[in-house]
Amino acid sequence: MEYALEVDSLRKEYPGFTLRDVSFALPRGYIMGLIGPNGAGKTTVIKLILNIVRRSGGTVRVFGLDALDREEEVKSRTGFVLDETPFYGYLKSPGVASVIAPFYTKWDRGRFEQLCREFELPWTKRVNALSRGMKMKLALAVALSHGAELILLDEPTSGLDPVFRRELLERLSGLIHDGRTSVVFSTHITSDLERVADYITCLKDGDLVFSATRDEILDHWALVKGGPELFVGEYGKLYKSVSRGPYGVTALTAEREEVQRRLAGRGAVIERIRFDDLIFFLGREGPPKKEAARE
Amino acid sequence: MLKLLRLEYLFNLRQLLIMWAILSVYFCYVVARLNSPGVFIVTTSLMVGLAIPFAVVGREDKFKTAALVCSLPVRRSTVVLGKFAATWAVIILGLGYTLLLAALLPFSKVPLAGVLSARNLLVSLFLVSVLFAVILPFTIRFGLTGIIILLVSLQLLGILALILARIFGGARNLVRIFFGAVEGGLRSLLHHQATPGYVLSLAAAIIAVNLLAILVSWALYARRDL
Repeated sequence: MEYALEVDSLRKEYPGFTLRDVSFALPRGYIMGLIGPNGAGKTTVIKLILNIVRRSGGTVRVFGLDALDREEEVKSRTGFVLDETPFYGYLKSPGVASVIAPFYTKWDRGRFEQLCREFELPWTKRVNALSRGMKMKLALAVALSHGAELILLDEPTSGLDPVFRRELLERLSGLIHDGRTSVVFSTHITSDLERVADYITCLKDGDLVFSATRDEILDHWALVKGGPELFVGEYGKLYKSVSRGPYGVTALTAEREEVQRRLAGRGAVIERIRFDDLIFFLGREGPPKKEAARE
Repeated sequence: MLKLLRLEYLFNLRQLLIMWAILSVYFCYVVARLNSPGVFIVTTSLMVGLAIPFAVVGREDKFKTAALVCSLPVRRSTVVLGKFAATWAVIILGLGYTLLLAALLPFSKVPLAGVLSARNLLVSLFLVSVLFAVILPFTIRFGLTGIIILLVSLQLLGILALILARIFGGARNLVRIFFGAVEGGLRSLLHHQATPGYVLSLAAAIIAVNLLAILVSWALYARRDL
């Protein structure tokens, strides 16, 4: 299988935060969603792939090329949208394009202008007069105008109105139809993942929780509901996170089949996982033992 | 490299125009007051050597465009080289402009014939190089805030030195000795006989200082997280 992106044991140490040995891979022609609670390390991973943050360890390969050794070639084939659009505020949209275009041999001016029209970007407004959503659209127009084969998007849908968000997701889906373009995007909006992501990589506190296809996740992860006795003792090990409410106990498991087998006939309800449940439970994940002790 | 020079030009144009206006006023005042070639060279070099690198190199930090530049298909070492070349281009233009003012303004007292010698021009480039060699790596490492803190600290240090010189008085206190040494050094640079050996030594010193600045800046920029 040909991979667009291979991340192996990627590590970054900041004071107070460490991204620990994160590994995942994205085959060509697919979309990967990067999810996780705030501070999980999603932006750090994207910046590490782009080399704007220097890694403490590990390797990143893009189209089979080392992202450090072949930096120029890799970046010329990569489009990006960062969380904070780093365009010089006094330039207007054509000015931004004229600064960036010479760096890309495949820059398509016509496509940039067409995208600006489609995104209804004001041609005469300076960047610092644009709203966050408009800046994001400008960054997208730049990222999509030089024939990039890997597109990295950090929270691209935040700040966008629902109509454009939907259009953007459709556009991302359309991009991969050529079989050579791949997309990695981080998001908090789980419905975006359900709509377009083929692969999902989840991070929490700098650790990789999982990286798998959407179907694998839906097959293996589940919500388990039932009486308190199903979530203590030997059963506690089956759950990633347990939530005890006034009307019962709900838990997140990554071992759906094992739970089904062991809790058969004990009154447990096993539900198909939704991504917002996944984020919610992972965000509040704590050691089930401690909660069990409190019971 | 040309792409980076163009980028630096487009990014810096506005700031440079503002700085050009400020420096024009300042140098109109300077050329109307100074009649010593040596003092003119030192004053001009210090002003140009501080203001231009500060404006060009600090711009990236001020407008937070470093992430964009480093995401483009270009090596970080080339980015540093681009900044270095762009800054030097503006420095040369700045020095040329001050000479032009000194030559053309009717109220100028600067004796241009005394300024325009290979030795004096090399001394000027040497002084600018020393300042730039501090500002470039320092800004890369500590950002715009860092360089402002450095400049303010140097000012405060100067004030403290003057106060100490006044308190301790006498011709042999350390502060006076230090300033005397700096003044003596500048005098000897400016009044040394312009033998080929001396001119070549100055040129070699300029190259060495700039090379060191680039090497240190490369190392610092390569480690920088944006």
